[in-house]
This record gives sequence, C-alpha cells and structure tokens, in this order.
Amino acid sequence: MTTKTEVDTFSTRRSLTPLICINNAVVAYQNAVALANINLDVYEGEILGICGPNGSGKSTLLKAILGLVPLSHGTIRFYDKDQQELTCVEYRQDNNLGYVPQVHNIDRNFPALVEDVVAMGRYAQIGFLKRVKKSDPYIENALRLVGMWKFRKRPIGHLSGGQQQKVMIARSLANDPKIMLLDEPTAALDFRIERAIMDLIHQLHQNQNLTIILVTHRMSFLREYTTRVVCLDKSIIWKGEPSDPKLQTIINQLFFQ
Amino acid sequence: MNPFFMEITFNPNAFWKYLQYPFMQKALIAAILIGIICALIGTFVLLRGMVFLGEAIAHSAFAGAALAILLGLDPLLVIMLFSVISSISIGYVNEKKMMKDEIIIGVIFSFFMALAILFISLMPVYSTDVPSILFGNILIISPNTFNLLIFFSFLIIIVIFVIKKELYFMTFDEESAKVSGIPVRLLTYIFLVLVSMTISVSLKAIGAILVFAMIVTPAAAAYQLTFRFNRLLLLAGFFGVFSTVGGLYLSVAFDLPSGSTIVTLITFIFLISFIISPKRRLAHLAHLPTECPYCGEVIDEGSCEDPDCPQSDTPHSHVAHDDHRRGDVVIDKRKLPGKTPSTHEHKGP
Ligand SMILES: Nc1ncnc2c1ncn2[C@@H]1O[C@H](COP(=O)(O)OP(=O)(O)OP(=O)(O)O)[C@@H](O)[C@H]1O
Ligand SMILES: [Mg+2]
Repeated sequence: MTTKTEVDTFSTRRSLTPLICINNAVVAYQNAVALANINLDVYEGEILGICGPNGSGKSTLLKAILGLVPLSHGTIRFYDKDQQELTCVEYRQDNNLGYVPQVHNIDRNFPALVEDVVAMGRYAQIGFLKRVKKSDPYIENALRLVGMWKFRKRPIGHLSGGQQQKVMIARSLANDPKIMLLDEPTAALDFRIERAIMDLIHQLHQNQNLTIILVTHRMSFLREYTTRVVCLDKSIIWKGEPSDPKLQTIINQLFFQ
Repeated sequence: MNPFFMEITFNPNAFWKYLQYPFMQKALIAAILIGIICALIGTFVLLRGMVFLGEAIAHSAFAGAALAILLGLDPLLVIMLFSVISSISIGYVNEKKMMKDEIIIGVIFSFFMALAILFISLMPVYSTDVPSILFGNILIISPNTFNLLIFFSFLIIIVIFVIKKELYFMTFDEESAKVSGIPVRLLTYIFLVLVSMTISVSLKAIGAILVFAMIVTPAAAAYQLTFRFNRLLLLAGFFGVFSTVGGLYLSVAFDLPSGSTIVTLITFIFLISFIISPKRRLAHLAHLPTECPYCGEVIDEGSCEDPDCPQSDTPHSHVAHDDHRRGDVVIDKRKLPGKTPSTHEHKGP
C-alpha cells in the first residue's frame, strides 16, 4: 500500500512534456452537451485521476481522447517522442493505447476463454490476416501480472465481476500500451479486490513507465494513487495535486449539493 | 388407404441411384456449400444478436424474387440487390442510433412483405415460380443459379476467414476493437453484405420462409456445446452440412420437400444439443464456476480447467491429470446436488 511520502516522490517524477493536449473540447450527444470547453494537458508518466458525479462526462472524456466520440468543437492532439503533433488515429499506429471500459455485460455463454479475450489485445500489434500465437509471451505476461494465469482456460462469462475486470486490464496490457485509460476499474468490486486492482495499477505505473488516466469516485484512491486530479462536471471544476486540502471541499461541493 | 393423405414410401436407395445424374450431384454440392456458409455467417449473426435482421433480409429477398419473376429477370441478382439494400439500410439506421433496431427491422420486414404480395398480384398468370421461391427446391437449381452459388459461397468463405479475428473482437467489445484500430464501421457493412449474399444464394434451395432457420439453428445448436470459438465455427459448419446433406437424402428417400426436411433435421439436432448442453448444466449451479457449491469457498486449483467440461462447477478430478476428456470425470457422489455433504474436500489436480 502507498504511503504519503511515496505519493510525494512519484508526483515529482512527472515530466513536463505533454503527451496529450485537449483544447476547448466540446462533446454533445444529440442536443445535450456532455463536455463543455475542456482544456487539459496530460503529461508523460503521470497518473491523472478524474472524478465527478454520475453523468458528469468522465466516460465521455475518455472516449473523446480515444476518438470514440466525435468532438463538436476543439481539438485533441497527441505528441510522440519526437514531439510531433498527431491525431489519435495517427498516434496509435506506432503507440498503443490501453482502454478498460466502464461496463462489460458479458454474456455468460459467450464463446471466449480468458486467454482468447487477452489475445484480442494483441490484434493491433500482429495486424491483419495473422493469427495470435498460442504461446504469445505478451499474453502470458499480462495474465500473470494480473494474477489470472491459472484461469486462462475458463470461459470469460463464468468469472466473477472482479476477475473479469482483471482480464480486461490484462487485455489492455497485452497491447503493450504507452497510455492506459481506465474507466472506474474498481466499480462494483469488493474492498479486497478493489485494493488489489489499484495496487496493480500503481505497480504497473512504476514498472512499465505508463501514463495512466484513471476515472474513480473514491477520494482515498485519488489521494493515494494519483499524481494529479481533475474534478469534472461537464467542464473542469478544479485541477490540482491530490494532497491539496481544497480537493476535499471541491468534492464535497460536487457530490453533496 | 386414406385418400386424403399421400402415401409415404421409404426408398433408401433413391439418393444413391440418382447420384449418377448431374441434377443430384449439383444438389449435393449446393447442399454442402449452403450448409457451410449459412453456419459460418449464422455463428456471427447469433453472437452479434442480429437474429431478426436475418429474418428481415429473407423477406426482402422474397420481394426481390417476386419482382424478378414479374419482370422476367434472373432472380438471384434481383434478390441480392433487394437483400443488400434492406440490410444496409437497417445497418445504417442502427449505426446512427436513430431508433431501436427492432422497430426498423419490423418496418422494413413488413414493407418488403407488402411489396412481395404486390408484385405477385401484378403477375398476369400465377407463376409456379412463386411457391418454388417460398418453399425452395434444392433439386431444381438452374445452371446459372448454381454457378453463382459456387462463386458467392467461395467468396463468402474467403472473406469470413480473412476478417474472422476482427469480427470476433468487434462482437465481443466494439469500442475496444475501435481503439485497437479495427475498422469497425467498414467491417460491419461488409458483414451485412455477407449476410445478404448468404441468404440470397440459399433462397432457391431452402425457400424464403425457411432459409432463416439455416442461419440461426446450426449456430445455435453448436453454441450449446462449446466455449471455444474455433470449435463453435467447426461444429456449426458440421451441423449445417450434416443437416443439408442428410435432409437432401431423406427428402429424396421419402419424397418430401427438401427445405422443410432440412430444417426439421437441423431443429432436431438443436434439440439434442440443447438437452445435452454442458452450459445449461452449469447454469443452475453456483453463480461462480470457481466456487464450491457447498461451502462457497473459491476453488482455484481443484476444479477442471477444461471449459467444455460438463462438471466444471462441481469439485471433481480427472482420472489422468493431464487428460481432460469427458469420460474420465470422477465425481464424489456425496457432493452431487441434492445431497448436502457434512464434510468435503477440494481435490487438487
Ligand atoms: N451514447 C450517448 N447518447 C446520448 N447521451 C449520452 C450518451 N452517453 C452519455 N450520454 C450523456 O452524457 C452525459 C455524460 O455521460 P458519461 O457517461 O460521460 O458520464 P459519467 O461521468 O461517466 O457518469 P458515470 O459516473 O455514471 O459513469 C450524461 O448526461 C449522459 O446522459
Ligand atoms: Mg462513466
């Protein structure tokens, strides 16, 4: 588990090169505006925490970054190691993005084993017309990292919610991502698994030099695991360090009014 | 003899006797191809939850056939045009999320049915081609239709195997597939066109009313039996071919209509799979397959790793450790459902 001093050490590790620049982004569904005027830079190597009440646009922000929902206005740009300005589609040709969506309602009988699901994470790398090898080391690595190796032959629909969540994290890891976007990875999980997954994310961040964008409601997780926090309610309400005492007041305002 | 019923005679050698003639050889080849393509496409249709889309396409294809008969054109191309139009328009409405897909499918489905009836009523003389399209007859496939069937079957099989991996990912999780750079939109439309082609080329043999069963049922039967995707495709293909060829044999031997014999046979296979399905046997047990149904403790090592094992919920071991064949399952009788054991242990592999 992370202590206060550790938080301080890894918040200083944050480099100052932005990896993603979001400029005046607006997302509207039909007529309702889900995100208004978002300006946000994501830096390499940080764990950016995003919090906000239900319907505040957290998932929408992740999807906008991933290019899954179109922007009505503004731009989102990625920067590769040569500081070249790229769109999401251009960026992910050479760099992989890991995405762990918020909900998976997996059909109990869907014909996929745990290893098949993780193999899907390899598709971007191996490309069209090729098969994923049974012995692909990335799959084994990813499954071992999340502690699901021994479940690799189980049907995905037969796992518990927490186990499925771990498989989804393994799938995004198998892609060898540069940036990971996790949408409430611990929602609906029990306390023990919740901690285990957060520790896993922390450990991945430390060992693999990942940049992580993490949506979570939990104040304690924001404090312990993130290096920077954004509070969202259609637009950005507050940005700052997780240790800032103002965070608590902002959260109280957002959630208890 | 009852004068109102035809006498049913069983002539087991008829099929073999006719097999020396080209019409029966063609019928056999058509049966095999249709069995394969319907099962392959059907597996994806089933997994993508688009079962009623298939129904709508089949009816629009019927309208296309009626128009072709009315105008004296080659049916297959008009059929294909109609079914592609209907599937693409349903796919478009679905993509833009303009309304629930069941609504648009319902609207299109009944519109094409109305068109079909309209076209039929415009025919100066009632054509015998109409019932042959409705009910199908695998024994009277025109040479042109047969050649197109062969061409499109190979096209469908090749395209499906080229995009199989990507389609599978999309079916499981569309958004993540997009993030992986899979052209989800393009593949969705390609798939819709493949469904239309499959239904169109099978229409003459199975009939507009029943062709849909050949899409759904082999895949549904295979779906009962396995958790492995490749095995699912293989089993569905096997069931498809078994029922089309078996149905052809029976329809010749008993002198019955081919379409309905084939569909009856595949439905029978589905019933058997449903009854012996290991999936449903798991379903009534504990909510987690890894949980012991008695003590609730999670069994990590003791339960079977074979996803198709019919006993994987119940603590058990296999006779040979590495051998997960079904026949080798050993279950402690005391731990079977219905009997509450006082003590039990989790056997390690
Ligand atoms: N596909 C969609 N079509 C129309 N409106 C949508 C769609 N997805 C989200 N919205 C709307 O956009 C707003 C933001 O939704 P979003 O899912 O981003 O919220 P969220 O912060 O992730 O909420 P939660 O905490 O419940 O996950 C909501 O008001 C929602 O109703
Ligand atoms: Mg959300």
